[in-house]
Amino acid sequence: MSHRHSIFCILPPHMLDQVAQNGSNAQREMAARTLSTSSQIRDRRVNVASAVIRGAFTAAGTSQRTVYDAKFGTKLPGTVARKEGDTPIADVAVNEAYDGSGATRDLYSVAFGRNSIDNNGMNLNSTVHYDKGYDNAFWDGQQMVYGDGDEDLPPAERLFNRFTISLDVIGHELTHGVTQFEANLVYRNQQGALNEAISDIFGSLVKQYQRGQTAADADWIIGEGLFTTNVNGVGIRSMKAPGTAYNDPVLGKDPQPAHMKDYVTTSQDNGGVHINSGIVNHAFYLSAIEIGGYAWEKAGQIWYKTLTDKLTSNSNFQNAADLTFQTAGEIFGVDSLEQLAIKNGWTGVGITVNGTTPVPPPSGDGCLKGLLHSLGLAR
Amino acid sequence: MMRIVFERTGGFMGRKVSLSIDLADLPPDQAGTLKQLVDESNFFKLTELPPKTPLPDGFMYSITVETETTQRTIHASDTNFPQTLRPLLENLLARARVR
Repeated sequence: MSHRHSIFCILPPHMLDQVAQNGSNAQREMAARTLSTSSQIRDRRVNVASAVIRGAFTAAGTSQRTVYDAKFGTKLPGTVARKEGDTPIADVAVNEAYDGSGATRDLYSVAFGRNSIDNNGMNLNSTVHYDKGYDNAFWDGQQMVYGDGDEDLPPAERLFNRFTISLDVIGHELTHGVTQFEANLVYRNQQGALNEAISDIFGSLVKQYQRGQTAADADWIIGEGLFTTNVNGVGIRSMKAPGTAYNDPVLGKDPQPAHMKDYVTTSQDNGGVHINSGIVNHAFYLSAIEIGGYAWEKAGQIWYKTLTDKLTSNSNFQNAADLTFQTAGEIFGVDSLEQLAIKNGWTGVGITVNGTTPVPPPSGDGCLKGLLHSLGLAR
Repeated sequence: MMRIVFERTGGFMGRKVSLSIDLADLPPDQAGTLKQLVDESNFFKLTELPPKTPLPDGFMYSITVETETTQRTIHASDTNFPQTLRPLLENLLARARVR
């Protein structure tokens, strides 16, 4: 089953974004006219298209980055170190947090038509140099927080570098914000592991997008560069081969499973949210590799739409499997290569997709109708 | 007699760091320092902290102190960690973090 689309509707998202940001008024109006004459729209384009229209006719919220310095204390957010538009300063962690949150905002905007974390231009606040010897980064519900690793130890004893060093960590933390505003997955057990996997998936996509890498070219490592040379490991997690990222005398071995048969039941870490996420990470990897090309364009699109439109706070792995399969059918067609790749990805980690009859794509709805609907102007 | 059991779980890596110390096994100066940190933190009288929704990738801490007469465990996260307990946390982390 195939669908026909207007030229504008099948323009790749990055081109739509270019039009939205850089197009002349005439080009923006043309974009709108093209939309009005189209016969069909894929749901996934609606957000992007509506962003174009908002950019053309109304002032959209513009997210501003601010990076704060906690100066090795724990008070948040700390002192302002760099604001949106400021030139780089002589502090690499500050600049990495600034650039990394910008790169994340770009991926969401360009690939998915999302306006910042809340899709409403939310400001992106980051705090670096949090605490002393803080081997971690987290999302506190409102902002990103990064430690400097083992900066307080002699170099020979250090295991961790600063957490801003890895772009996918920054993408991971911001994606916790996106998830909070969308599915709001409970941070416990399978729901929590799904929450974690979504952060790894989009964190990795931020890195792949910035590097211009296809699924086949990408390393699929999460937290590359976080370990010092004292550690035997390439990063914190591997989406390509969960369980193989590190094996070190001090840190032990990467505990991630790659298959449901190895699912870990534990009370620690909110029920193993950073352990069992490996299963979902690997399912995404398998699908993206099978689809080929840039992972954010198809596999990422399917997951983004599933996260924003279908998953709920209590969704588990099976729900994610069924809903990504359904979404792939809606976007790319039933039995499309993309839909089969999603199914095969889940099969590869021991999850059988249920429901081979997804909701059919809307028929007879033109681009404009979809657009008006998304703007709340039509039903 | 004093025993301290410390655990840090969660975090971006999900790796547990833990430690169990009997002060009797430590050199006297170190045992004295730890005892002092426990006393100064007002450990047994600290107000119970309201449970919080877990922070994505945040650490979760638990500190148990046991004496002949009493025992208490305090749970906290990065953002509701009692300030008075931080010096004790620093000491415990320095022992537990890299081993």
